[in-house]
Amino acid sequence: MNTEIPIWRIKYYPKELKEFCGRDSIKETLQQIIKQKNFPHLLFIGSEGIGKTTLAQLFAKEFLGNNFDANFKLIYANVPLSDDERNQAKSEAYISTSKIGSIAGKRITTPAFIQVKVKPFVQLKVIGDAPFKILIVKNFESLGSDQQGFRRLMEIYGSNCRMILITTKVSNIIDPIISRCQIILISRVKRDRFKDLIIEIAKNESLVIDDTVIEALYKVSEGKISKAIDLLQLCSISGKTIDMQKLYENSQRLQNDLVKNLLLMALQGDFPKSREMARKIISNYKYDSHEVFTLLLKELNKIPLNEFARKKLINLIADSDFRAIDGRDIDIQISALLSKICLFSEYL
Amino acid sequence: MSRTAEIPWVEKYRPKSIKEMALPSARVSGHRIKLDVELTNFIKNFYIEIKKINEENRKIRAYNRTAIEKDQKEELTISPEKAAILLEGPPGIGKTSIVYALANDLNMEVIETNASDTRTRKTIESRLKETTKTRGIMDFITQSKDKLILIDEIDGIYGVQDRGAVPTILELIQNTQFPIIMCSNEYKTSLQPIYNKIQRVEVHPLPENEMLKITEKILEKEKISNLTNEDLELIIDRNNGDLRGVINDLQGISQGVMEKDNKELILSLHRDSIEEVFSLIRDLFQVTTLTEARSLTDKSDVDYNFLYKWINENLPTFLKANRDIANAYENLSLADEIFGRIRKTQYWGLLPYFYDLFAGGVALSRKETPPIKGFRKIVFPRYSTGSYFSLTTAEKEFIEKIQKIYEISPIEFLQDLLPFLKTLSISSRKQLKIISDWLELDAKEKKLLK
Repeated sequence: MNTEIPIWRIKYYPKELKEFCGRDSIKETLQQIIKQKNFPHLLFIGSEGIGKTTLAQLFAKEFLGNNFDANFKLIYANVPLSDDERNQAKSEAYISTSKIGSIAGKRITTPAFIQVKVKPFVQLKVIGDAPFKILIVKNFESLGSDQQGFRRLMEIYGSNCRMILITTKVSNIIDPIISRCQIILISRVKRDRFKDLIIEIAKNESLVIDDTVIEALYKVSEGKISKAIDLLQLCSISGKTIDMQKLYENSQRLQNDLVKNLLLMALQGDFPKSREMARKIISNYKYDSHEVFTLLLKELNKIPLNEFARKKLINLIADSDFRAIDGRDIDIQISALLSKICLFSEYL
Repeated sequence: MSRTAEIPWVEKYRPKSIKEMALPSARVSGHRIKLDVELTNFIKNFYIEIKKINEENRKIRAYNRTAIEKDQKEELTISPEKAAILLEGPPGIGKTSIVYALANDLNMEVIETNASDTRTRKTIESRLKETTKTRGIMDFITQSKDKLILIDEIDGIYGVQDRGAVPTILELIQNTQFPIIMCSNEYKTSLQPIYNKIQRVEVHPLPENEMLKITEKILEKEKISNLTNEDLELIIDRNNGDLRGVINDLQGISQGVMEKDNKELILSLHRDSIEEVFSLIRDLFQVTTLTEARSLTDKSDVDYNFLYKWINENLPTFLKANRDIANAYENLSLADEIFGRIRKTQYWGLLPYFYDLFAGGVALSRKETPPIKGFRKIVFPRYSTGSYFSLTTAEKEFIEKIQKIYEISPIEFLQDLLPFLKTLSISSRKQLKIISDWLELDAKEKKLLK
């Protein structure tokens, strides 16, 4: 394998905690914890793409030192289980030995996610001389009611394994979990620290970029470092000098306008075509229903419409999203929304 | 009564060759194809492919015998889409017949299993695996016929008896030495693992005038003259494209008591078959009252779990005006929500609302769409719910390669990193090459970047 990594966001991925860009006060807290060799369960809160996972991982690596590989696990709560894993969870269900009460002789199943992904890791004893294991659960809020299962796990196996839960939406996390964790809020990177990083990368890759462009890059990427680096790499293909125009052109190209096109298609009133398009988007990007609805809402706010129409459309999206909570078939709920938008478009 | 009268006419008049057969029309992912050409090509390509693979494997085996354990190579297997093909369509339109006719034309032997055999893992294994894996010594000496495996009524696989059948069939597809043709009537989610791997061909019923020609021919041969054309049309109409049903009816009528008024006899015929999904949906969009819609769903024993998915899939075929579609979906989405709540709370008392909403609510939404004229094609529900997550093998391998160096979840990869890599490699060929060299991507994975 080549030593030169061709994807910049991987190339400039921080390798140590001190390399992590900005957020000095948080880093200091974490350094302090590493010195003390002890910490409670942690809950990292911050918006999407600003480096929560990176930070948590680097912290765990530094904390565990040589014992990192054996005692660390990162799991994604929003990635659905495969069929095999589901079957495994089912087969591990056991029959209650209680002879009285409602659970007498019943099959007891734990939520599949916990049974398959979490339990095996937290139950195993610490390997080496690390004080405890570290488990990172990403997108914790998407576990929904399965979060209840974590309450006991965090208490029973707390001394064996500490958890770092990562979330973007703290409002979706149940209170008992929040009360068991130390909360760490992660802000986006400060402007000047961002600038330092970009200048360093530019120097390394011999790019020419001036302050106003960096400023614009910060705005376009919404402070997300990986996104900014992606954009920088894309700009660098057509020459080493990066100016405003190039930046905007390329940021346009990176934008995902499939959902926007879907909305526009529905607003033209062609139902069969827009349904076809929605299915394609969902199968390519593996969005869940809620994500599709929120993306549609986001795009809706960008297109020019009169306020009455906008209000009406928001109403439709909200209604469909609400039904999809209990509904069993996303395709029906999304088709329902599209058909209503198609109908509404006739009155515009 | 002569001896031939005892043979069912369906068997008696089963076509012996493709030439004497009225071919049903067929489609592969929306494109019209010629079924006989498609199947012949499939069989021919299979034998070319398997020959290649067998030769390769022989070399590999020879190599493995000398090599140390660490250097041993794995034997190749045939890719599933080349090994098996699935014919889907309503019952009685000639799916099985065409396979037999074709085998006859190509001088092949058909090994068949169908739903009347119990398909536990063991029975399938004992019946098929030996024939698929090895060719006996006798085969080389006698140069016996090539074989063709037909797994009929694959959608009959469910329940306790057929436990483990799906994995066995998948395994069979991988290790087979003979081409496999499968037939199925309806969509079953439990068969999704099979659907994902192989090519699916939709087969459609014969047009009514073709069926009329065939029935007339049979009547001529059987020297029956007391049925008028009108009677024939009635029989054909009642069977909704099911040619086997038509022929069975004909035999029933002609061999039965002849004194009765023919029409009454036809109408009183009750074959065991219940309304199939196809005709059910077709009828559902024609009804004008709620009672009719309810009686339709009551009569059928099609699983309502699937039925509303069928309705979802076929709704735009029958309803054209946006107002009608929106009204229908208002009801359908509410039905879906109610069904979800029933499953969650186990409050089955809500089920009547579900029935009324998904059947009646949809059927009665027709206001502006003109009445349906002529035949409308019904399609299988192509979209399965996103309750489980599946990646293609190319995606999976790509992600695994990336994950070795960079921590990223499959979802983030698909939504975030892959689009970026795509734009990057579209804007410069050089980048595409650098990235694919660095990650050691193969052709399929490279395709994701284009």
